[in-house]
Parts: sequence; C-alpha cells; structure tokens
Amino acid sequence: MQLELSEIQAYLVNDYTDMACSKYYLLQVINTANAKKFIANMAGAVTPIEAGLRDTRLHFGFTSSGLKAIGLTEKNLNSFTREFREGMVTPHRQRLLADFDNSDPDRWQWGGPHNDRVDIIFMVFGKDATTADNYFDSLSEKIGSAFKIVHVLKGNSLPNNREPFGFRDGISQPAIIGSGITSGNNNDIKAGEFLMGYRNEYDIYPDTALLHEPQGDASLLKDDEGGSGLKDIGRNGTYFVLRQLEQNVDGFWNFLKEKTKDSGVDNKEESIKLAAKMMGRWPSGAALVNHPDKDPGGDNTDNDFNYSKDDELGHKCPIGAHIRRVNPRDHFEETGPAGSLKLTRRHRLIRRIRSYGEPFVSSPENHKPPGEIGLLFGCFNADISRQFEFIQYTWANYPKFKRLYADPDPFVGVRDNPLPGQEQNFTIPTETVNKTITGLQNFVNVKGGAYFFFPSISALKFLGTI
Amino acid sequence: MIKQRPLILLTPVKPEMVGSLNELLDKVKAAMQSGTESEFAKLSTVHYARWVILSRDSFRDEPAIPVPVRLIFSSNYDGNEESHLDDLVTSLEKYIDAVYECCEDYPAPGNRNTESRKKYLRQWRIGTSAFFVGAPGRSLKQIRQENSLREHIWKFVTNTTWDGKSSREIHQSIRNEVDSNPEFAWSKEKVKVPGIKWLPLIGYGLLVIAVLPLMIIWILYIFLFHELRDRYKPTTLSQIPDKLVNKLEKDEDLFPQNQFTQVVVMKPGMVRQLNFRIWMLRTGVLASYMFVKGKLLNIPTIHFARWVLFDNKKHVLFFSNFDGSWQQYLSDFIDQSGWGLSGIFSNTVNFPPTRFMVTGGAYDEEHFLAWSRSTQIPTNVWYSAYPRLSIKNIINNTRIRNELRDDLNEKQAQLFLKRI
Repeated sequence: MQLELSEIQAYLVNDYTDMACSKYYLLQVINTANAKKFIANMAGAVTPIEAGLRDTRLHFGFTSSGLKAIGLTEKNLNSFTREFREGMVTPHRQRLLADFDNSDPDRWQWGGPHNDRVDIIFMVFGKDATTADNYFDSLSEKIGSAFKIVHVLKGNSLPNNREPFGFRDGISQPAIIGSGITSGNNNDIKAGEFLMGYRNEYDIYPDTALLHEPQGDASLLKDDEGGSGLKDIGRNGTYFVLRQLEQNVDGFWNFLKEKTKDSGVDNKEESIKLAAKMMGRWPSGAALVNHPDKDPGGDNTDNDFNYSKDDELGHKCPIGAHIRRVNPRDHFEETGPAGSLKLTRRHRLIRRIRSYGEPFVSSPENHKPPGEIGLLFGCFNADISRQFEFIQYTWANYPKFKRLYADPDPFVGVRDNPLPGQEQNFTIPTETVNKTITGLQNFVNVKGGAYFFFPSISALKFLGTI
Repeated sequence: MIKQRPLILLTPVKPEMVGSLNELLDKVKAAMQSGTESEFAKLSTVHYARWVILSRDSFRDEPAIPVPVRLIFSSNYDGNEESHLDDLVTSLEKYIDAVYECCEDYPAPGNRNTESRKKYLRQWRIGTSAFFVGAPGRSLKQIRQENSLREHIWKFVTNTTWDGKSSREIHQSIRNEVDSNPEFAWSKEKVKVPGIKWLPLIGYGLLVIAVLPLMIIWILYIFLFHELRDRYKPTTLSQIPDKLVNKLEKDEDLFPQNQFTQVVVMKPGMVRQLNFRIWMLRTGVLASYMFVKGKLLNIPTIHFARWVLFDNKKHVLFFSNFDGSWQQYLSDFIDQSGWGLSGIFSNTVNFPPTRFMVTGGAYDEEHFLAWSRSTQIPTNVWYSAYPRLSIKNIINNTRIRNELRDDLNEKQAQLFLKRI
C-alpha cells in the first residue's frame, strides 16, 4: 500500500535528529477568523514527508478544544476518538496513566485543569536555535493576531542520543510500511497503526474522524476508505501524545548507589549494572540479551534480538525491565514466538523524544544537573487507547505484568505514594533465587501533557475553511 | 477438591422502589470503592459477587419481549447452593433485607428468618448456560492460604543470603522453614489440581466427527439463510454515548481487576436459538474439561465467566471477572480467540457480521470493541474477595505449594525458585 506522502506531516516518519533545536508553541485561539486564515495559509508551509532538506521544519496539531475553538461542529468533533476528545486529563485516564502525587495534573505546568487551555501545538524545528527563532519571529505577527501563546516548550535533540538518566534512547522504532523506510525485526508495521485511512495490524481501517454534517470546503477531503460514504477528515492524519517528563537524575543514581553499596561503600559498576537491569539495555544501548555481563561501550543501536529463545527466564534481561515490558517482542507465554510478535505489533508507538533543560547526561559520577531536566516525550499512534494508553497501563504500570506480583515498570510505572499495603518491587531472576529490589522510588514526574490530532495537509486546508 | 459454582438470581423490583434501590446500591458501591465496606468480607464462600439493576435502558437493541425492572444478583461460590445461601443471608443479612425490600414479595419484617430469606432468594434463581472457572478446585480459603504461604516464602527468600547455595539446597531450606511454622501445617499435604479430562474430550471429539456432515450442512445453511441476510448497523467506539462510557469507566481500573456485565438480544427464530445452544454446549464442555489451567480459549486473565440465556431464551447475559483493563481484556479476546466469541455472539442482534460463524465478527476489531462497549451495562455493586491477585498469581501460588513438597532436581528447583 503506497502512502500519500505529500499529505502526511513528516515528523511522523522523521525524528529530526539533525534539527538541534525545537520549539513547541502551545497556543490558544483568541480570534477565530484570524486563526482559520492562519491555518489555511500555513497548511502549505507544513513539512510533508516528500519535502527535501530544509533548515527549518514546521508542524502543527490540534487538541479537541482547538478544533472546537475554530468552529468544528459538535457532531463532527464527536467523530474523533473518545480519548482525543476527552484529552489526557480525566479521572479514569489519571488511573490508567498513573498521574498521581508529583505527577498529578493539578500540579502540571501546562495542560492541567489549573492551566490555560491549550488549543494548538505549533512546532518549529531549526538546525540551531537562531534559525528556529528567526523562523518563528517571521510569523509572530500573524500568530499574535489569532492566538495567545500559553506555553513554550524548548527541546533539543538528545546529546549523543542519550536521555538524561544516561541511556541511549530511541533505538527500537517502528517503520511504517509504505513510507519508504524499513526497519526489520518485527518493526515494520502496517500504516493503519499510525495513520487513519489505511489498514492496521488487524487488517481493518482504524476509527477515523468523518464529516458527519456539511461544513467548510468538503471537496478538499477524500471519501472514507471504510465505506461509510462520508468525507474523511482523519485520512493521512494521526494522533500525537505529548508528555513533559521531568527526570530526577540525582535521586535515580543515589537510589541505585544505595541499593548496590558494598559494605557501605559505593560500587559504581554495580549501580550501572542495576540501572541496566532495570532498563534492559546498557547506557551504550547494547541489549542485555546480547551482552549480559558488561557494557561493550561505544554507541550501540543493537536491536536484533528476541527473548523467547535467548532469554526465556529473564536471567539476562529481567521480565520486568523497561524495554522488555514496553516492547515484549516474541515472548508471551500464551502465544509462542510468532503469535507474540504479532501481538506486539498491535501495540507500538513511534516515539519522538526531545530533551529539555540544559543538555545533561547523568552517570554515577555526575548526577547533579544544572536545574530541571527531562524529556519531551512524544509519540504517534492511530489508536491512543490500544497503543499509548495500553502500553502505559497494561505493560508498564500494571504490577501483575506476566507472572509478576508487585512489579511496576521501574522507570515509568512507580508511584510516589503507593496505596496502603502496596509494594513496589523489581525482580531480577538469577540462576537460583530471584533477587528483589524492594521499595522502588519514582524518578519521573509528569509536568504537562495533551493529546493532539495531527491532520494531513489537505485536512489542514479544510480546517481553514470551516 | 471443592467445586466452584455460579448462582444467579433475577428478581423483579417494585417500580416505585427503583430509585431507592439505586441509591442504596450506590452507597454500598461508594463504601466498597473507598475501602470502608466491611460486610462482604464476612462471606466465607464467595469469590465474586455483583448486583446489577437491569431495565429497558440497559438494552442497546430493542428487547425481544417487554422487560420490567429487575435486580440481578450473581455470585461465584464454593461448595453447594444451600450453604452459599446460608452464608448470604447470615453474613450479608444487613444488605439482603435492605436490598430485597425494594423487590416484589419480600417477606414482611415479622416473617423474616434464615429459612424465609433463603426461600425468597431461591425462587428467583435462573440457570447458567455456560460457566468458566479460571482456577478450578481452589476454594476461597485455599486461595488465601496459598497466597499467604507465597508471601511468607518470598519474605524468607528475599531476606536471606544464599551465596553458594544450589537451587536444590534452597528449596530444601524453604521447606524446612515452612515446616517450622505451625501456621502453614496445612501445606504439608499436596493439593489436587484439575487436569485436562481426556475421556470426555475424546467422547466430544468423536461426537463432532460423527455429526461432521450435518455440521457442514448446518454451517452452510446458516451462512446462506442467516449470515448473508442479517442486518447490521455498524457502530464505532467514538459513536457510543459518552454517558454510558463515562459511567462504566468511573468504576474501572480502581485496582488490578475489573468486571464486565453485558446484555444482548438473541436474533429471532429457532435456528439461531439452536445454534446458540450448540455453542453453549461446546463452550461448557471445553470449559469443564479442557480450559482447566487458568486460561479460557488461551486468555490468561479471566477468574470467572458465564453466559446466561434468559427471558424465555430471548436475551443473553454475559458476566466476567478479569485482570487488567477493559482494553486489554477485549484485545485478548480478539487476539487469542476471536472465533470462539464470534460463534456464540453471532446469534445475537447487531453483532459485527460473521462468515461461517468464525471469521469476521470479533476479528473486525473496531466494530467488535464498539459492540462490546455499547452492550456493556453498569454494575451497581461489585465485590472481589481478592482484588489484588491475578489469576496467574493464584495458579502460580498453588504450584509453589505443591512443588515445595516435590523432590526436585536442580533444574526443577531452579524453576520453582523463579515462581516466588
């Protein structure tokens, strides 16, 4: 199936490591007419997949309040998925995503119930900060006449591809079949997992946003592939999940050192090893399945491995390790390797990670960052419930993952204040008894978040006409 | 080995009391969810229980016959029905009176005693069409005991240094430690665990082979005269009323287990009726003899599930108690056994179209999920006796208990230690 490359926003398939600087402007509509005019005008400036090399790139997406603010009727808005319409902050979603305590939306810097409403995310990428700023400045007058800037998230491509805890990030990334990129090892995924209007891994069309009642210039839209006879607003569009994750790297390394002290003395090697066990990879990126004993060092994008044959019991990579939870590959007891791979393909995300704060990569020797640091965790998916929320809840947060009893994901699933009687452990299988790290602590705090609809170029033009 | 059984009561509610009953059950639910409810824990035979108010509004599709407002009680219990009813009316006396006073013909205050209450409940009992038990043979008491044993062993293992010890030696030390503890004297005896019963399965297989030609004709007949002609109104998840989903989600993912209650309408006619019964028979046989190791059609998260054909065989109720989220539960059904569900539910109105009963249907993920969600109904009160145990934990705990008594070689001992 060939994708309509000139229609799709390129950030979906390109992670822009060459764009050192990114700025995500979170906007609120203050003048509907000007906002629509702006959207219609800018649709042609948004970077599609087909675009050649540019020094700047531009993308934008809408929250459901944004679609409402520019005048999409209730009936048409209701054809978007429930997760998107309701947004990231609902009582039920708070439980699914475990946004409690320090991650409580009440404390967020943006996107929470006490923050200004976010309607639009306007993303500017530049090869450096000046280029990005100049580009934005050239548009600022028009933006000012239509929007209020609610918040700005400045991001950087990861220094040496390392996230702040010190690990190489973004290694296993799905590739969309038909996008011209291939990835191998179960990472080539049908387009419908990431784009509306195409068949997904169930071989059906995902729920897409349809034009239920006439509005705007519908001739810009194509017909629904699902056969409803309605025009498809969602086609070639996708959903973008954005979460600002603060990382307490100091707490992280202090915890690891405390847990690996050798007769009261820090043991650097052991603390790295424990961190690697929790991650499933060494800081270099090398997978524990291939390098169980020590980090081969250098830069490693090792992704050619599976679990069922090489490490069924988790002696190398624990069952509860982060990468083994969020991408279980070929290892589910119930289904066997081939069935497991198929199941895994139905719950994947295309991640778009930028770091924020001063670029800083921590290590056992150096874990005092110059101020708040963390990740702007972004990911694309066509079905927020079956992909992002499923992975976050069922695979990461859920303490009963596989046969475990009380093990949340050691990085993203631990609660600051566990419920009464609730233990939070990390189990490391060994040749004899399991070794258990008890009393896990949380080192990742959510500071803001939202769900965005990333329309196709045509749908952007259409939204400018409603 | 005890047997777990299902009970289901369908009791007409006094029309003028529907509001009060709702309020009463809401209060119980609120107490349950905030952890302040203490009556249910007195039940010694009950794994799960729920009350559901079933009214016309519960049905997504037009009911086949007029339906008054009724109260459903459903439970999964140990042993026989008499002692279960005893347990209910004594341990839950406070609720039973208050709840059933809202229903038709409950004995007047002066006439209430254990016997009259039991008699009242018994008269509303209806039959279960097919029943699945995730951990067959385990009583509530056994499940609790075995979990405390595992916790004890886990603490012992975690707080001891085992440098240089072999897995066999550690296994032996654990056994000695457990034996030194009179609290666990019960664990000295291994417990029987149900295995796959081949004889009835072979019998069933032979029966299937014997009627195979008939079955093929039957499948073709259903394909030509039903599947090709059935009408279907597609729904997607985004199109389900927010009110329903929000109400359901309000009670979900409060702890690692969830429940599901669903009511659907049978397609009209004898053929669909008979076909449903064949699938129920099949599900019942397989659930009793084959799916006895914690997995229903390969789904490893279901504690109990049941299908109930009622209202003069016009309507179907489905109940389950499971681990994890709704999305995971339903995805599991599609990924592991879409055909099994399609066979059963293709006999009900507005199920996504199937072909030869097993293709399409549940494999049409988007429409199947929407069908499930839109026919699901809110459960007014739900009780789980062990909300923090997964079915895998329960099965694993029994294995720990039994393997503790086995004479294991090094490899086996290694696997034993992995379970802890």
